Amino acid sequence: MAAEGIDEFDIRDYLRTELMPHFMCPGCGHGIALRALLWAVHEERIAKDRLAIVTGIGCSGRVGGYIDANTFHVTHGRPLTFATGLALARPDLEVVVITGDGDCLAIGGNHLIHACRRNLRMTCLMLNNEIYGMTGGQVSPTTSEARLTTTTPYGNAEPTFDACGLATAAGAGLVGRGMTLQTVALKNLIREALAYRGFSFVEILSDCTEIFGRKNDLGSSPEMILRQKGSMRPDFYGNTVEHPFRPNNLTTGIIARNERPEYGDTYRSEVLAPHGHGGAAAGVSAPVE
Amino acid sequence: MSHPVELRLSGSGGQGLQFSARVLAEALLRDGRTVAQSQSYEPTSRGGVSRSDLVVSDGDIDYPLVTGLDYLVILDEVAAEFPPTLLKPTATLLVDESRVQTRVAGPWTIRSSPFAEIARALGNERAGNIVALGTLLALSSLCSSASVAAALAAETPPKFLDLNSEAFDAGWRLVQPTPAAEAAHARA
Amino acid sequence: MGEGQRINLQGNHACALGAIAAGCRFYAGYPITPSSDVAERMALELPKVGGVFIQMEDEIASMGAIIGASMGGAKVMTATSGPGFSLKQENLGYACMVEVPCVIVDVMRGGPSTGMPTRPAQGDIMQARWGTHGDHPIVVLAPSSVSEAFSETIRAFNIAETLRTPVVLLYDEVVGHLVETVQVPDPGSIARAERKWATGPREAFQPYAATDDDIPAMARPGDGYRCHATGLTHGERGLPTQNPAEVERAMQRLLGKLERHRDVIDRFETFAAEDAEILVVAIGITARAAKRAVAEARRQGIAAGLFRPVTLWPFPEQPFHALAEQAKAILVPEMNAGQLSLEIERLSGRPAKVARINRLSGEPIEPAEILKIIEELARHGR
Repeated sequence: MAAEGIDEFDIRDYLRTELMPHFMCPGCGHGIALRALLWAVHEERIAKDRLAIVTGIGCSGRVGGYIDANTFHVTHGRPLTFATGLALARPDLEVVVITGDGDCLAIGGNHLIHACRRNLRMTCLMLNNEIYGMTGGQVSPTTSEARLTTTTPYGNAEPTFDACGLATAAGAGLVGRGMTLQTVALKNLIREALAYRGFSFVEILSDCTEIFGRKNDLGSSPEMILRQKGSMRPDFYGNTVEHPFRPNNLTTGIIARNERPEYGDTYRSEVLAPHGHGGAAAGVSAPVE
Repeated sequence: MSHPVELRLSGSGGQGLQFSARVLAEALLRDGRTVAQSQSYEPTSRGGVSRSDLVVSDGDIDYPLVTGLDYLVILDEVAAEFPPTLLKPTATLLVDESRVQTRVAGPWTIRSSPFAEIARALGNERAGNIVALGTLLALSSLCSSASVAAALAAETPPKFLDLNSEAFDAGWRLVQPTPAAEAAHARA
Repeated sequence: MGEGQRINLQGNHACALGAIAAGCRFYAGYPITPSSDVAERMALELPKVGGVFIQMEDEIASMGAIIGASMGGAKVMTATSGPGFSLKQENLGYACMVEVPCVIVDVMRGGPSTGMPTRPAQGDIMQARWGTHGDHPIVVLAPSSVSEAFSETIRAFNIAETLRTPVVLLYDEVVGHLVETVQVPDPGSIARAERKWATGPREAFQPYAATDDDIPAMARPGDGYRCHATGLTHGERGLPTQNPAEVERAMQRLLGKLERHRDVIDRFETFAAEDAEILVVAIGITARAAKRAVAEARRQGIAAGLFRPVTLWPFPEQPFHALAEQAKAILVPEMNAGQLSLEIERLSGRPAKVARINRLSGEPIEPAEILKIIEELARHGR
């Protein structure tokens, strides 16, 4: 199923295969998300040397290490800040942030809203599995109400965050939601995000079967994935989608577009150009081709 | 000048003390002197005690903060209290009598003038700091008038340059300049 | 400093101009008194040389942004004061672990907590060394004049780039806001150190290989090496490891690399110290008060001397040892409750001979106060 004029996608071309087997639990949705990203990278013809992956801490943070690219595994909640410096200093790179629901919305929440506001070109993929998996299954800002976690032994009493609503309100250039259930649609959504000239935010509904699923008796991995189109998500995921993949009560696909200037372009044209500098920023010499 | 000369310009935040200190430091630089300028201020930008200190030398300055003042300028009542031990017995004080009610007394040479009132007569009370600067430089022989004029021109926004130049001259004329200052003025 | 321009310059501005002269082309910061002048000057100057200035949403983000830009290949800096420095410590530890060159300026004000924002202090001496968690290598430079705020900033960049380490520039509010007449050298006359970049075939490249000088070459994104950087303990390939032997080897190199390059790092000033019986040790504005006090003591016939560590961490131990040995008493004046004195007591070999002057009021320690204690020590010993 190759896109027009390019070789068929082989995920092994984009992985550090010497690191296999990977650390992810059987049934974890993050591998599907990783495949969708690399497939999109392939179809967008992004050279691995120009691809910079910045990840935070948590299960989502470990995903980046398997990618055969320039990979930066940074501190908890801060990948967007590192990516901001990297993208401003090196506008020639394709910067992709992979983060999780805890990394992005709890400890990194402030950075998310300001990255959305700034609209600096990068793609932020938030893998939402409703749980802090790596630390053993604590409640996260997206854990559905009443769910059991190790820190909500009587059921989660807190309301959840709508990450896409937050990103939209904060002004992100492109906001979308995809699911690991629909891998082709997810790949196409990530392609749009990668091609977008501005800050693109994609929430990916992933699943933690080993910890969250077992704790809440949600069945096997396929059962959990199928549940993504069912009713397990909160009501605010209404059906107002621009291009729905298929009818269900989740808003998926492109959720919002805020056509705004890309921050790097604005900085270069408004601040650098009047001083006779417009091209490469931050005095970094062009990479060897 | 064998020993460093120490000055303090004090008053209320917003009176332009940092500005006049910067002009003076710039003029001294043009004269080939070495200066160290420090400041103390309150978290409030306006109204609190504000002061700017200068140490002036012909060579390296080991300790850049004031320890024995030769000159103290007080432009507002909020700055009327000062530690007397910080002044040399031979110090000269300039007090703005239009804004300082406390009667400053001590073994020093104390000179009171209505700097702010003079500035108001020239069109803007806020040039009182420059009037005082004129008087200070007439009383001392710290730097040449040419350097002060150049420093004023360099530091003052164009629309206030006439005012500041007039204010400086008015301050200068308030006193009988010292022979050294007169000579420096004449050379300019 | 040789040819150049003679101007009146503020300490914080000197730091900014030194950074530009050293090749800094990326600055991220957050407003905080008394360091904001550094950010303001960088915002003004960086666009003139094609660099990037960004004010981030918080101190944590500005530290993250400079590390990200440095990993992209830029020379980078941020500036802050105590409260902001505390917030930067997490990402500073990352830079130590991943060996990312960067310069962090801490203009010290009264603490703890919000403390006295407009008043000077020297309370971050230990935070600068041990602020982030775990054992880590770090270099801290302590300029005491406007001229040094310029020249030590340049040295901070050169050390950071040469040794792949974060360098902290630590000075008090007095030095930050002080304006002094200085000779600023021509930009062309300034020696700039450049980072060792990865070269050669990709297959053979190991991002944390133990090299001759213990400083690994850095892979620049886009150059074809496609490496992994992680704050997890990593081996020579840059990949996470918990293999005890590999961890031990990696950590020994990391923690030992600065010790191997003392020639680049160490810097200190002595004044009348050769035969000093009373040795004063101080940094920043306090060191300048101490210098005058020592000069006055010498005029009185007291054999006083000054040792001023310009590189504060790692402390210039070797040159200090000999002087400490011969001194009958050592005096450590500092604007805190006793931080530098802890290190001096340790290095003196005999803590009992170390006397202290501690100041917490937000006022600098004056020469006369130091002279008074020198006189007492001369009369009664320690």
